[in-house]
Amino acid sequence: MAPDLTRRLREEAVVRIIAHVDELTALDQAIGDGDHGFNMKRGFEAITALGDELDALSLGPALQKAGMTLVMKVGGASGPLYGSFLMAMGKAMTGDPLSREDFVGSLAEGVAAVKMRGKSEAGAKTMLDVLVPVLDAVTADDPLAAARQAARDGLEATRNMKATKGRASFLGERSIGHLDPGARSSALLVEVVCDVLEGKV
Amino acid sequence: MRDAAHDAAPVLGEAVVRDPTGLHARPAVKLTKLAKGFEATVEIRTGQNGAWINAKSPNAVMKMKAGYGETISVRAEGIHANSAVAALVGLIERDFDG
Amino acid sequence: MTDCVGIVIVSHSPDVAKGAADMVRQMVGEEVRVAYCGGDPSGGLGTDVAAIQAAIRAVNGPKGVAVLVDLGGAETNSEMAIELMADELLGEVVLCDAPIVEGAVMAATEASGGASLAAVRATAEEFLS
Repeated sequence: MAPDLTRRLREEAVVRIIAHVDELTALDQAIGDGDHGFNMKRGFEAITALGDELDALSLGPALQKAGMTLVMKVGGASGPLYGSFLMAMGKAMTGDPLSREDFVGSLAEGVAAVKMRGKSEAGAKTMLDVLVPVLDAVTADDPLAAARQAARDGLEATRNMKATKGRASFLGERSIGHLDPGARSSALLVEVVCDVLEGKV
Repeated sequence: MRDAAHDAAPVLGEAVVRDPTGLHARPAVKLTKLAKGFEATVEIRTGQNGAWINAKSPNAVMKMKAGYGETISVRAEGIHANSAVAALVGLIERDFDG
Repeated sequence: MTDCVGIVIVSHSPDVAKGAADMVRQMVGEEVRVAYCGGDPSGGLGTDVAAIQAAIRAVNGPKGVAVLVDLGGAETNSEMAIELMADELLGEVVLCDAPIVEGAVMAATEASGGASLAAVRATAEEFLS
Protein backbone atom coordinates (compact mmCIF):
# COMPACT_ATOMS: atom_id res chain seq x y z
CA MET A 1 0.00 0.00 0.00
CA ALA A 2 1.10 3.52 -0.72
CA PRO A 3 2.94 5.10 2.19
CA ASP A 4 0.74 8.18 2.15
CA LEU A 5 -2.50 6.17 2.24
CA THR A 6 -3.41 7.33 5.73
CA ARG A 7 -2.98 10.98 4.76
CA ARG A 8 -4.98 10.66 1.55
CA LEU A 9 -7.86 8.87 3.29
CA ARG A 10 -7.88 11.43 6.08
CA GLU A 11 -7.84 14.42 3.75
CA GLU A 12 -10.44 13.11 1.33
CA ALA A 13 -12.83 11.94 4.06
CA VAL A 14 -13.10 15.35 5.69
CA VAL A 15 -13.50 17.12 2.35
CA ARG A 16 -16.30 14.78 1.34
CA ILE A 17 -18.08 14.94 4.72
CA ILE A 18 -17.97 18.75 4.73
CA ALA A 19 -19.27 18.86 1.14
CA HIS A 20 -22.27 16.77 2.24
CA VAL A 21 -23.04 18.32 5.64
CA ASP A 22 -26.20 19.99 4.35
CA GLU A 23 -27.43 16.81 2.73
CA LEU A 24 -26.82 14.76 5.90
CA THR A 25 -28.50 17.46 7.97
CA ALA A 26 -31.56 17.46 5.70
CA LEU A 27 -31.84 13.67 5.80
CA ASP A 28 -31.49 13.67 9.58
CA GLN A 29 -34.01 16.47 10.02
CA ALA A 30 -36.55 14.34 8.18
CA ILE A 31 -36.32 11.29 10.45
CA GLY A 32 -33.85 12.10 13.26
CA ASP A 33 -32.81 15.13 15.25
CA GLY A 34 -30.89 16.91 12.51
CA ASP A 35 -27.44 16.78 14.08
CA HIS A 36 -25.80 14.04 12.01
CA GLY A 37 -24.17 16.40 9.48
CA PHE A 38 -22.62 18.65 12.10
CA ASN A 39 -21.63 15.76 14.33
CA MET A 40 -19.80 14.05 11.47
CA LYS A 41 -18.17 17.33 10.47
CA ARG A 42 -16.96 17.92 14.02
CA GLY A 43 -15.60 14.38 14.24
CA PHE A 44 -13.76 14.44 10.93
CA GLU A 45 -12.38 17.92 11.57
CA ALA A 46 -10.97 16.56 14.82
CA ILE A 47 -9.33 13.76 12.83
CA THR A 48 -7.94 16.34 10.40
CA ALA A 49 -6.48 18.26 13.30
CA LEU A 50 -4.38 15.20 14.19
CA GLY A 51 -2.50 15.83 10.92
CA ASP A 52 1.05 14.50 10.83
CA GLU A 53 0.59 12.66 14.10
CA LEU A 54 -1.98 10.44 12.36
CA ASP A 55 -0.24 10.24 8.99
CA ALA A 56 2.94 8.91 10.56
CA LEU A 57 1.06 5.79 11.68
CA SER A 58 0.44 2.71 9.59
CA LEU A 59 -3.18 2.12 8.64
CA GLY A 60 -4.16 -0.11 11.58
CA PRO A 61 -3.02 2.19 14.41
CA ALA A 62 -4.20 5.22 12.42
CA LEU A 63 -7.72 3.80 12.16
CA GLN A 64 -7.73 3.09 15.88
CA LYS A 65 -6.66 6.61 16.68
CA ALA A 66 -9.18 8.10 14.25
CA GLY A 67 -11.90 5.90 15.75
CA MET A 68 -11.08 7.03 19.28
CA THR A 69 -11.17 10.63 18.07
CA LEU A 70 -14.68 10.12 16.67
CA VAL A 71 -15.79 8.54 19.95
CA MET A 72 -14.55 11.52 21.94
CA LYS A 73 -15.57 14.33 19.59
CA VAL A 74 -18.78 13.52 17.73
CA GLY A 75 -21.31 13.94 20.53
CA GLY A 76 -24.08 11.81 19.04
CA ALA A 77 -24.62 8.07 18.69
CA SER A 78 -22.66 8.14 15.42
CA GLY A 79 -19.47 8.81 17.45
CA PRO A 80 -19.43 5.45 19.25
CA LEU A 81 -20.82 3.70 16.15
CA TYR A 82 -18.24 4.97 13.64
CA GLY A 83 -15.61 5.06 16.38
CA SER A 84 -16.15 1.39 17.28
CA PHE A 85 -16.14 0.55 13.57
CA LEU A 86 -12.75 2.16 12.93
CA MET A 87 -11.22 1.00 16.21
CA ALA A 88 -12.22 -2.63 15.62
CA MET A 89 -11.05 -2.47 12.01
CA GLY A 90 -7.74 -0.93 12.97
CA LYS A 91 -7.14 -3.39 15.76
CA ALA A 92 -7.68 -6.34 13.40
CA MET A 93 -5.43 -4.84 10.71
CA THR A 94 -2.16 -6.50 11.66
CA GLY A 95 -0.82 -7.74 8.31
CA ASP A 96 2.15 -5.87 6.88
CA PRO A 97 1.92 -5.50 3.97
CA LEU A 98 -1.82 -5.71 4.26
CA SER A 99 -3.27 -8.56 2.19
CA ARG A 100 -6.74 -8.51 0.77
CA GLU A 101 -7.72 -11.23 3.25
CA ASP A 102 -6.44 -9.08 6.10
CA PHE A 103 -8.51 -6.18 4.84
CA VAL A 104 -11.71 -8.22 4.47
CA GLY A 105 -11.13 -9.72 7.90
CA SER A 106 -10.68 -6.35 9.53
CA LEU A 107 -13.75 -4.95 7.75
CA ALA A 108 -15.72 -7.88 9.14
CA GLU A 109 -14.47 -7.02 12.64
CA GLY A 110 -15.54 -3.41 12.13
CA VAL A 111 -19.03 -4.38 10.98
CA ALA A 112 -19.37 -6.77 13.94
CA ALA A 113 -18.41 -3.92 16.28
CA VAL A 114 -21.13 -1.67 14.81
CA LYS A 115 -23.71 -4.44 15.28
CA MET A 116 -22.66 -4.88 18.88
CA ARG A 117 -22.52 -1.18 19.70
CA GLY A 118 -25.83 -0.43 18.03
CA LYS A 119 -27.45 -3.72 19.15
CA SER A 120 -28.66 -4.00 15.59
CA GLU A 121 -28.47 -5.92 12.32
CA ALA A 122 -29.03 -5.02 8.67
CA GLY A 123 -32.66 -4.26 7.81
CA ALA A 124 -33.31 -1.77 10.62
CA LYS A 125 -32.67 1.30 8.40
CA THR A 126 -29.20 2.11 9.71
CA MET A 127 -25.60 2.37 8.54
CA LEU A 128 -25.48 -1.43 8.67
CA ASP A 129 -27.67 -1.53 5.56
CA VAL A 130 -24.67 -0.13 3.70
CA LEU A 131 -21.83 -1.74 5.63
CA VAL A 132 -23.14 -5.32 5.62
CA PRO A 133 -23.65 -5.50 1.81
CA VAL A 134 -20.28 -3.79 1.28
CA LEU A 135 -18.61 -6.43 3.44
CA ASP A 136 -20.28 -9.12 1.31
CA ALA A 137 -19.16 -7.33 -1.86
CA VAL A 138 -15.45 -6.98 -1.14
CA THR A 139 -14.83 -10.66 -1.79
CA ALA A 140 -15.95 -10.20 -5.42
CA ASP A 141 -13.48 -10.26 -8.34
CA ASP A 142 -13.57 -6.50 -8.68
CA PRO A 143 -13.97 -5.57 -5.03
CA LEU A 144 -13.95 -1.80 -5.41
CA ALA A 145 -16.60 -1.72 -8.14
CA ALA A 146 -18.67 -4.26 -6.20
CA ALA A 147 -18.31 -2.22 -2.99
CA ARG A 148 -19.44 0.99 -4.72
CA GLN A 149 -22.49 -0.74 -6.15
CA ALA A 150 -23.32 -2.44 -2.84
CA ALA A 151 -23.09 0.89 -1.02
CA ARG A 152 -25.39 2.62 -3.53
CA ASP A 153 -27.92 -0.22 -3.49
CA GLY A 154 -27.75 -0.58 0.28
CA LEU A 155 -28.35 3.13 0.77
CA GLU A 156 -31.25 3.17 -1.65
CA ALA A 157 -32.78 0.15 0.08
CA THR A 158 -33.07 2.12 3.33
CA ARG A 159 -35.62 4.42 1.65
CA ASN A 160 -38.44 1.91 1.92
CA MET A 161 -37.42 0.45 5.23
CA LYS A 162 -39.19 1.18 8.49
CA ALA A 163 -36.70 2.26 11.13
CA THR A 164 -36.55 0.00 14.17
CA LYS A 165 -33.35 1.38 15.70
CA GLY A 166 -32.20 4.84 16.70
CA ARG A 167 -34.16 8.05 16.87
CA ALA A 168 -35.93 7.36 13.56
CA SER A 169 -37.65 4.36 15.14
CA PHE A 170 -39.85 6.81 17.08
CA LEU A 171 -41.45 7.68 13.73
CA GLY A 172 -42.34 4.06 12.92
CA GLU A 173 -44.17 3.94 9.58
CA ARG A 174 -43.46 7.62 8.95
CA SER A 175 -39.75 6.84 8.60
CA ILE A 176 -40.60 5.05 5.32
CA GLY A 177 -39.78 7.09 2.20
CA HIS A 178 -36.61 8.71 3.56
CA LEU A 179 -33.00 7.62 3.13
CA ASP A 180 -31.26 6.88 6.41
CA PRO A 181 -28.67 9.57 7.23
CA GLY A 182 -26.26 7.07 8.81
CA ALA A 183 -26.49 4.85 5.73
CA ARG A 184 -25.81 7.97 3.61
CA SER A 185 -22.67 8.91 5.53
CA SER A 186 -21.49 5.30 5.38
CA ALA A 187 -22.01 5.18 1.60
CA LEU A 188 -20.10 8.45 1.35
CA LEU A 189 -17.14 7.02 3.25
CA VAL A 190 -17.16 3.81 1.18
CA GLU A 191 -16.92 6.00 -1.92
CA VAL A 192 -14.00 7.89 -0.37
CA VAL A 193 -12.10 4.68 0.32
CA CYS A 194 -12.77 3.36 -3.22
CA ASP A 195 -11.73 6.64 -4.83
CA VAL A 196 -8.52 6.82 -2.82
CA LEU A 197 -7.62 3.20 -3.47
CA GLU A 198 -8.28 3.64 -7.19
CA GLY A 199 -6.11 6.74 -7.21
CA LYS A 200 -8.98 8.96 -8.35
CA VAL A 201 -8.24 11.51 -5.66
CA MET B 1 -30.62 -3.36 71.12
CA ARG B 2 -34.13 -4.66 70.58
CA ASP B 3 -37.40 -2.88 70.97
CA ALA B 4 -39.69 -4.26 73.65
CA ALA B 5 -42.27 -5.25 71.10
CA HIS B 6 -40.01 -7.80 69.44
CA ASP B 7 -41.68 -11.16 68.89
CA ALA B 8 -45.05 -9.63 69.67
CA ALA B 9 -47.83 -8.70 67.25
CA PRO B 10 -47.11 -6.00 64.64
CA VAL B 11 -46.82 -2.48 65.99
CA LEU B 12 -49.48 -0.13 64.67
CA GLY B 13 -49.82 3.64 64.49
CA GLU B 14 -51.52 6.32 62.46
CA ALA B 15 -51.26 9.98 61.54
CA VAL B 16 -53.13 12.50 59.39
CA VAL B 17 -51.62 14.10 56.28
CA ARG B 18 -51.45 17.86 56.90
CA ASP B 19 -49.96 19.11 53.68
CA PRO B 20 -52.69 20.65 51.48
CA THR B 21 -51.14 18.93 48.44
CA GLY B 22 -51.09 15.54 50.13
CA LEU B 23 -48.25 13.03 50.30
CA HIS B 24 -46.43 14.36 47.23
CA ALA B 25 -43.06 13.38 45.83
CA ARG B 26 -40.71 15.05 48.29
CA PRO B 27 -42.44 13.80 51.47
CA ALA B 28 -42.70 10.36 49.87
CA VAL B 29 -38.92 10.27 49.43
CA LYS B 30 -38.42 11.45 53.05
CA LEU B 31 -40.74 8.80 54.39
CA THR B 32 -39.03 6.07 52.37
CA LYS B 33 -35.58 7.11 53.50
CA LEU B 34 -36.68 7.19 57.13
CA ALA B 35 -38.29 3.74 56.88
CA LYS B 36 -35.15 2.25 55.31
CA GLY B 37 -33.21 3.10 58.47
CA PHE B 38 -35.06 0.55 60.61
CA GLU B 39 -34.46 -3.15 60.90
CA ALA B 40 -38.11 -4.03 60.49
CA THR B 41 -40.67 -4.54 57.79
CA VAL B 42 -42.47 -1.22 57.65
CA GLU B 43 -45.75 -0.85 55.80
CA ILE B 44 -48.25 1.96 55.36
CA ARG B 45 -51.73 2.33 53.92
CA THR B 46 -54.31 5.04 53.49
CA GLY B 47 -57.14 4.90 56.03
CA GLN B 48 -58.34 1.63 57.48
CA ASN B 49 -59.01 -0.21 54.27
CA GLY B 50 -56.23 0.61 51.78
CA ALA B 51 -53.78 -2.08 50.73
CA TRP B 52 -50.62 -2.24 52.85
CA ILE B 53 -47.59 -1.19 50.88
CA ASN B 54 -43.88 -1.40 51.63
CA ALA B 55 -42.82 1.93 53.16
CA LYS B 56 -39.24 1.31 52.04
CA SER B 57 -40.22 1.26 48.36
CA PRO B 58 -40.05 4.78 46.91
CA ASN B 59 -42.13 3.70 43.91
CA ALA B 60 -44.91 2.23 46.04
CA VAL B 61 -45.04 5.18 48.45
CA MET B 62 -45.13 7.70 45.63
CA LYS B 63 -47.95 5.84 43.89
CA MET B 64 -50.00 5.72 47.10
CA LYS B 65 -51.16 9.33 46.60
CA ALA B 66 -52.51 9.95 50.12
CA GLY B 67 -54.45 13.23 50.05
CA TYR B 68 -54.84 16.12 52.53
CA GLY B 69 -56.70 15.12 55.68
CA GLU B 70 -56.37 11.40 55.00
CA THR B 71 -55.16 9.11 57.72
CA ILE B 72 -52.09 7.03 57.04
CA SER B 73 -51.76 3.82 59.02
CA VAL B 74 -48.30 2.53 59.82
CA ARG B 75 -47.50 -1.08 60.64
CA ALA B 76 -44.12 -2.56 61.50
CA GLU B 77 -42.70 -5.91 62.50
CA GLY B 78 -39.16 -6.70 63.57
CA ILE B 79 -36.38 -5.63 65.89
CA HIS B 80 -37.00 -1.90 65.47
CA ALA B 81 -40.77 -2.04 64.97
CA ASN B 82 -41.63 0.35 67.82
CA SER B 83 -39.08 2.97 66.84
CA ALA B 84 -40.07 2.70 63.19
CA VAL B 85 -43.75 3.33 63.83
CA ALA B 86 -42.98 6.19 66.22
CA ALA B 87 -40.60 7.79 63.73
CA LEU B 88 -42.95 7.54 60.74
CA VAL B 89 -45.96 8.76 62.68
CA GLY B 90 -43.84 11.63 63.99
CA LEU B 91 -42.67 12.57 60.50
CA ILE B 92 -46.23 12.64 59.12
CA GLU B 93 -47.48 14.60 62.16
CA ARG B 94 -44.70 17.16 61.78
CA ASP B 95 -45.86 17.61 58.17
CA PHE B 96 -42.60 16.06 56.94
CA ASP B 97 -40.52 18.81 58.58
CA GLY B 98 -41.54 21.39 55.99
CA MET C 1 -19.79 8.50 51.17
CA THR C 2 -18.47 5.57 49.21
CA ASP C 3 -20.70 3.02 50.95
CA CYS C 4 -23.56 4.16 48.72
CA VAL C 5 -24.09 3.45 45.03
CA GLY C 6 -23.15 6.54 43.00
CA ILE C 7 -25.61 8.16 40.57
CA VAL C 8 -24.70 9.65 37.19
CA ILE C 9 -27.14 11.66 35.08
CA VAL C 10 -26.40 11.96 31.34
CA SER C 11 -28.67 14.21 29.28
CA HIS C 12 -28.39 15.81 25.85
CA SER C 13 -28.97 19.11 27.64
CA PRO C 14 -26.65 20.46 30.37
CA ASP C 15 -29.65 22.26 31.88
CA VAL C 16 -31.73 19.08 32.10
CA ALA C 17 -28.78 17.19 33.62
CA LYS C 18 -28.15 19.88 36.22
CA GLY C 19 -31.87 20.23 36.96
CA ALA C 20 -32.26 16.50 37.52
CA ALA C 21 -29.21 16.46 39.80
CA ASP C 22 -30.61 19.44 41.74
CA MET C 23 -33.86 17.57 42.28
CA VAL C 24 -31.99 14.57 43.61
CA ARG C 25 -29.95 16.69 46.00
CA GLN C 26 -32.98 18.58 47.29
CA MET C 27 -35.30 15.59 47.55
CA VAL C 28 -32.93 12.89 48.69
CA GLY C 29 -30.10 14.84 50.28
CA GLU C 30 -26.36 15.12 50.12
CA GLU C 31 -25.45 11.64 51.34
CA VAL C 32 -25.76 10.09 47.88
CA ARG C 33 -23.05 11.09 45.43
CA VAL C 34 -24.55 12.46 42.23
CA ALA C 35 -22.64 13.60 39.17
CA TYR C 36 -24.08 14.86 35.91
CA CYS C 37 -23.15 15.96 32.43
CA GLY C 38 -24.92 17.17 29.32
CA GLY C 39 -24.11 18.69 25.95
CA ASP C 40 -21.84 17.63 23.11
CA PRO C 41 -18.13 18.52 22.93
CA SER C 42 -18.98 21.88 21.31
CA GLY C 43 -21.58 22.78 23.90
CA GLY C 44 -24.63 22.01 21.76
CA LEU C 45 -27.28 19.41 22.51
CA GLY C 46 -25.71 15.98 22.68
CA THR C 47 -23.47 13.93 24.92
CA ASP C 48 -19.72 13.82 25.36
CA VAL C 49 -17.87 10.60 26.16
CA ALA C 50 -15.10 12.44 28.02
CA ALA C 51 -17.63 14.31 30.15
CA ILE C 52 -19.51 11.08 30.91
CA GLN C 53 -16.23 9.49 32.01
CA ALA C 54 -15.46 12.47 34.25
CA ALA C 55 -18.91 12.18 35.86
CA ILE C 56 -18.52 8.44 36.47
CA ARG C 57 -15.02 9.05 37.87
CA ALA C 58 -16.44 11.60 40.32
CA VAL C 59 -18.72 8.99 41.94
CA ASN C 60 -16.62 5.89 41.22
CA GLY C 61 -16.80 3.53 44.20
CA PRO C 62 -16.82 -0.14 45.23
CA LYS C 63 -20.62 -0.28 45.45
CA GLY C 64 -20.87 0.73 41.81
CA VAL C 65 -22.58 3.43 39.81
CA ALA C 66 -26.09 3.67 38.34
CA VAL C 67 -26.30 5.77 35.17
CA LEU C 68 -29.50 7.46 34.02
CA VAL C 69 -29.65 8.59 30.38
CA ASP C 70 -32.22 10.37 28.26
CA LEU C 71 -32.21 9.56 24.52
CA GLY C 72 -30.41 7.22 22.08
CA GLY C 73 -26.99 8.85 21.77
CA ALA C 74 -26.75 9.31 25.52
CA GLU C 75 -27.12 5.56 25.95
CA THR C 76 -24.64 4.63 23.21
CA ASN C 77 -22.10 7.18 24.40
CA SER C 78 -22.47 6.06 28.03
CA GLU C 79 -21.92 2.42 27.09
CA MET C 80 -18.84 3.44 25.13
CA ALA C 81 -17.56 5.57 28.02
CA ILE C 82 -17.96 2.73 30.51
CA GLU C 83 -16.21 0.25 28.24
CA LEU C 84 -13.24 2.55 27.65
CA MET C 85 -12.67 3.16 31.38
CA ALA C 86 -13.12 -0.44 32.56
CA ASP C 87 -9.62 -0.46 34.11
CA GLU C 88 -10.25 2.36 36.53
CA LEU C 89 -13.73 1.38 37.75
CA LEU C 90 -13.90 0.33 41.41
CA GLY C 91 -17.30 -1.33 41.03
CA GLU C 92 -19.83 -2.25 38.40
CA VAL C 93 -21.39 0.56 36.35
CA VAL C 94 -24.84 -0.05 34.86
CA LEU C 95 -27.30 1.90 32.73
CA CYS C 96 -30.85 2.03 34.10
CA ASP C 97 -33.74 1.71 31.68
CA ALA C 98 -35.78 4.43 33.36
CA PRO C 99 -36.94 8.01 32.75
CA ILE C 100 -34.04 10.28 33.59
CA VAL C 101 -35.52 12.54 36.30
CA GLU C 102 -37.83 10.07 38.01
CA GLY C 103 -35.27 7.29 37.67
CA ALA C 104 -32.55 9.44 39.23
CA VAL C 105 -34.71 10.34 42.24
CA MET C 106 -35.82 6.73 42.73
CA ALA C 107 -32.30 5.38 42.31
CA ALA C 108 -30.87 7.92 44.74
CA THR C 109 -33.58 7.23 47.31
CA GLU C 110 -32.80 3.53 47.15
CA ALA C 111 -29.05 4.19 47.21
CA SER C 112 -29.35 6.42 50.28
CA GLY C 113 -30.28 3.39 52.38
CA GLY C 114 -27.07 1.64 51.35
CA ALA C 115 -28.80 -0.69 48.87
CA SER C 116 -26.87 -2.78 46.33
CA LEU C 117 -26.45 -1.64 42.74
CA ALA C 118 -28.92 -4.31 41.59
CA ALA C 119 -31.56 -2.99 44.01
CA VAL C 120 -30.91 0.61 43.00
CA ARG C 121 -31.30 -0.26 39.35
CA ALA C 122 -34.45 -2.30 39.98
CA THR C 123 -36.04 0.60 41.90
CA ALA C 124 -35.26 3.05 39.11
CA GLU C 125 -36.59 0.70 36.44
CA GLU C 126 -39.69 -0.12 38.48
CA PHE C 127 -40.97 3.43 38.15
CA LEU C 128 -42.71 2.90 34.82
CA SER C 129 -43.76 -0.67 35.42
